[in-house]
Amino acid sequence: MKSLKYYAFVALLFAVFIFIMNSGDLFKKPLGSGDDFMLYMNQVEENISVNEWQTASINYEKLHRTWKKIVPRIQYSVEKDEINAIDVNLARLESCITSQDKTLALLELNEAREHWHDLNR
Amino acid sequence: MFALNEALVVLVRSIIAFFTLLIFARMLGKQQISQLTFFDYVLGITIGSIAASLSVDITTRAWPHWVGLATWTGAVFILQETSIRSKLGDRYLTGEPSIVIMNGQIMEKTMKKLRYTTSDLLEQLRDKGVFDLNKIGFAVLETNGQLSILLKPEYQPVTPSDLKITSSNAGLSNQLIYDGLVIEANLARAGVDRIWLEQQLRAQGINSPSEVYLAGYDANSGSLYIDKYQDNLS
Repeated sequence: MKSLKYYAFVALLFAVFIFIMNSGDLFKKPLGSGDDFMLYMNQVEENISVNEWQTASINYEKLHRTWKKIVPRIQYSVEKDEINAIDVNLARLESCITSQDKTLALLELNEAREHWHDLNR
Repeated sequence: MFALNEALVVLVRSIIAFFTLLIFARMLGKQQISQLTFFDYVLGITIGSIAASLSVDITTRAWPHWVGLATWTGAVFILQETSIRSKLGDRYLTGEPSIVIMNGQIMEKTMKKLRYTTSDLLEQLRDKGVFDLNKIGFAVLETNGQLSILLKPEYQPVTPSDLKITSSNAGLSNQLIYDGLVIEANLARAGVDRIWLEQQLRAQGINSPSEVYLAGYDANSGSLYIDKYQDNLS
């Protein structure tokens, strides 16, 4: 009985560890309202495609806020470099929107999307 | 950059690495450092190194490191099981002890094959308290690198049976008092009681067990060791 409890405890501990180490895929998905990263990415992309820079700027702010919410959730299971890469993409994207540079803005968005997919991979 | 808390991530990953390593080390048994072969030693370093990466290398994900740790531990476990279950497997995996001195003669060829130098041999002999090669009958180099020696009969120490002396059996000493507290369970195990213990203490001028740091009793020989907090060193 004692050893059964011990093995059950070890199994539970490993299950918790494995969950923490692989929780990135789950926690990068929206868990409530207003934290859908991909939704805001698509909205910003649409705005930029039709040169709606004002709306793109508003949606960029939402995208940035969402990213700030997601990082603490996924930081235990993803590569720090991927997080940093998305940070850089978002910073560049903001400048592209301000300077209304469509080509570079779309480039940064696509790169950020790639890094997003690579999180927890 | 803004929300990533590196210290917190390292803390969580270190907890995972620490307890994983603790459980894996328990799984691999109680082999002591002195019993490790060179391969075991290298395995230990590799597993430790993977655990360190799991703990602090946040540029990579924790999961692949954990899988690496589990794989290496699993491989060691399989090797251990093979060694336990199969004599042939044990011979191939851990090797066999080699005789390096036979009937007082050094086996140069065996030593060359083992890449074991004469200075290694002499050093290990000195470590065993043997400074004269003439005294050695056999010397065996064990798989963990330790040297076992058998002295020639004329140089072996005398034992009570050589002298036809009867000796009492030495048993395990039971701790009766530790840190001023009487351990009741050990009193019963040693076949004595508290009254007997207090009598013994009074005979040595001790009024209370709280004055004693450690008291051990060997029921076979009847010897009682007492160490007081107050040490009379001049």
